[in-house]
Amino acid sequence: MLIGTSRFILNGWVQKLYIEPTFFFPFLGFEWVKPLPGNWMFLPFVLLFVSALFFMFGFFYRIASVVLFLSFTYIELLDKTNYLNHYYFVSLVAFLMLFLPANRYCSLDAQLNLTPKHLLVSKWNIGILKFQLGIVYVFAGIAKLNSDWLFDANPLKIWLQAHHHLPLVGKFLQQEWLAFVFSWTGCIYDLFIVIFLFNKHTRPFAYIFVVIFHLVTWYLFPIGVFPWVMIFSTLIFFSPNFHERILQFITKEKMQTLSQKTLPTFNKKIVSSALILFVSFQILVPFRYLAYDGDLFWHEQGFRFSWRVMLMHKEGYGRFFVVDSKTKREMELPQQQFLTPIQLDQMLTQPDMILQYAQILYKEYNGKTFYVAGLPLKIHKPEIQAEIYVTLNGRPSQLFVRKGKNLVTIKNDLKNRTWLEDFKK
Amino acid sequence: MNRIIFGILIGTIVFITACDKNRNNKNDFDKAALLQNFADNIIQPRYADFKTKIDSFEILFTSFQSNPSEAKFENVKTQWKVCYLSFQGVKTFDFGPSMNTGFKGAIGTFPTDTTQISSNIAAGTYNLATATNADAVGLAALDFLFYQTDAYLKITTSQFYSQYCLDVIQKMKAETDAVVNAWTTFKSTFIASTGNESTSMFSMLVNDFCQDWEEAKAAKLGIPLGKYSLGIQRPEYIEARYSGYSLPILKASLKSIAEIYSGIGFNGQDGVGFDDYLIGLKKENLNTSIKSTFQTIDGLFSPFNSTLEIELTQNQTALENLFNAISEQVIFIKTDMTASFGILITYQDNDGD
Repeated sequence: MLIGTSRFILNGWVQKLYIEPTFFFPFLGFEWVKPLPGNWMFLPFVLLFVSALFFMFGFFYRIASVVLFLSFTYIELLDKTNYLNHYYFVSLVAFLMLFLPANRYCSLDAQLNLTPKHLLVSKWNIGILKFQLGIVYVFAGIAKLNSDWLFDANPLKIWLQAHHHLPLVGKFLQQEWLAFVFSWTGCIYDLFIVIFLFNKHTRPFAYIFVVIFHLVTWYLFPIGVFPWVMIFSTLIFFSPNFHERILQFITKEKMQTLSQKTLPTFNKKIVSSALILFVSFQILVPFRYLAYDGDLFWHEQGFRFSWRVMLMHKEGYGRFFVVDSKTKREMELPQQQFLTPIQLDQMLTQPDMILQYAQILYKEYNGKTFYVAGLPLKIHKPEIQAEIYVTLNGRPSQLFVRKGKNLVTIKNDLKNRTWLEDFKK
Repeated sequence: MNRIIFGILIGTIVFITACDKNRNNKNDFDKAALLQNFADNIIQPRYADFKTKIDSFEILFTSFQSNPSEAKFENVKTQWKVCYLSFQGVKTFDFGPSMNTGFKGAIGTFPTDTTQISSNIAAGTYNLATATNADAVGLAALDFLFYQTDAYLKITTSQFYSQYCLDVIQKMKAETDAVVNAWTTFKSTFIASTGNESTSMFSMLVNDFCQDWEEAKAAKLGIPLGKYSLGIQRPEYIEARYSGYSLPILKASLKSIAEIYSGIGFNGQDGVGFDDYLIGLKKENLNTSIKSTFQTIDGLFSPFNSTLEIELTQNQTALENLFNAISEQVIFIKTDMTASFGILITYQDNDGD
């Protein structure tokens, strides 16, 4: 977390992603989450940094975990342009940590007697974290069971060949068979790694696999700290003994044996129903795409929050038009007038963002007066239309949004996106 | 039980690896070879050519200044046009030295700010490097200075006027020299930068290639045609409006981009280009579409035999056709081609969704 936040600040991404843009793309239902003005946007990042520091050392653990969860989630809710599955993962784990007593033994809180020292934690505490990790892997695996991934080795084919300049391995990277090996290995790995991590005989081998797998992805793809997060969080699968040995090594102090026993909880019912709720939410959300017609990768209904990682290489090119409702005069809008390059790139392939952008444009142009060759032209309740072409996983580009539809009147909701053109395989 | 599954897992991987090896296909393409070809045969020779032309432009102008005549002024104007057309071939490469020195903007910005130019000349003192004069320099400024009404009279009678022209020319010359010199050391950086991250030279080359095409579409044609102003034509935005050379300039710009696509060197020899990369990726159909669109566009110029300003009123449909064909090509190069190359537009984290 600490490293992630520092990296974010040092790379100038606070500026680029949260201060420079004039407009943001909030999530459905979270439109009320607004960015702070100007450099105040550094505040949540500083809070995040400090709370992560406190959290790590277990100092004022409860408060730290609340601040950590809120600041991180706040940042992520601002703009879906920057949505990444691993940010969602961090938010979920931070949420779980709100309820977990991770400050019981090797923490400053415990050392300074701010909290009663406990050697034992309830089994569900560890269990839910294992579950959360397992979900990520298994669903990432299920998501890979599609024909693009398995039988075309796409998008990996595209991404791997782009590295063909690397020394030694480079020349293999544009071989088709290697893309297939990567695709299938990745899929099998995601689906089954959790089973091997649960079994104590296979665990060490499985963990070696985990490390190798994530190192390779870290080297080849721009996925930031995610591989490291996974490499370290997967350690939760190891036995208490293993962790004690590490702790002993760090603290150099002899420990009594920790063990996992079920402690009497003050209210077992509440805990178990909360757990059931959380677990079923986690299992159902990635499957919500089944409620929609058409191709998931095309319309992206039910795509986010489902551990669909590295599945699509989608690029779009779009022209937006303002059409005056009275005179029917139209004009094309200059590319990149209102959005940052990243926002533009993300918006063009994501239907809900296209509708949000149409609303932004409508507000900008409605009632605006243009002076063309000295003549005033007032735009009245304009239609916003677009012609967008999208290429998906190496296919030739196809029409995504047809010109002629007024995007302003289309509601951004969870219904089938029938306003998109049909996808031709 | 778990060991068995583990065994199956390993077995599957080995099996897939083994059987896929059989259909191992040779499609090796080398981005380094492409960049080498671009540096050796396209970019550097084009810059060198532009430099030669700017150098003789300055010589012709100083000779005209010291001993003015109508004939010499005609030579100056002809050489100005030659430079303008040659510039279309170098403005695309707006990365590295060009980006650092602001070469493209300094020489190619249009439309020119005639009010600013006139007030500079009236004052007699100015600093052309300042931001206020950004629209009062470059080839477009000379378009106004050489071709406005009574240009010959003004340039031969006003010391400040002709000095201003010389200052603009010498500024361009200095900027060109700077870029040409910087390229001798920059070349090795360029050739080595074959990555697909957004900061790599290969990515920048592809992005600038697309951007230059889009600029031709919007600035050189779309804006005058009224495509961005509710259908109302805007002749005041025409490039090289005073000389009326906008259509040949547009054509030269598009032709240059088509040659870049195919990797055709300054000497006319076909080398490694984006077309070869697409063929290497087995995208022959896309390559064919792009090449035939380039050809179609070239043919769409045939109805024009006058300046863009006149064609705007007389030949609007033909201009619309040209505009549409150029727009169509953007989809091919910016979406399909760029996506096939696997170029990243941002250096942010991205998990591909």
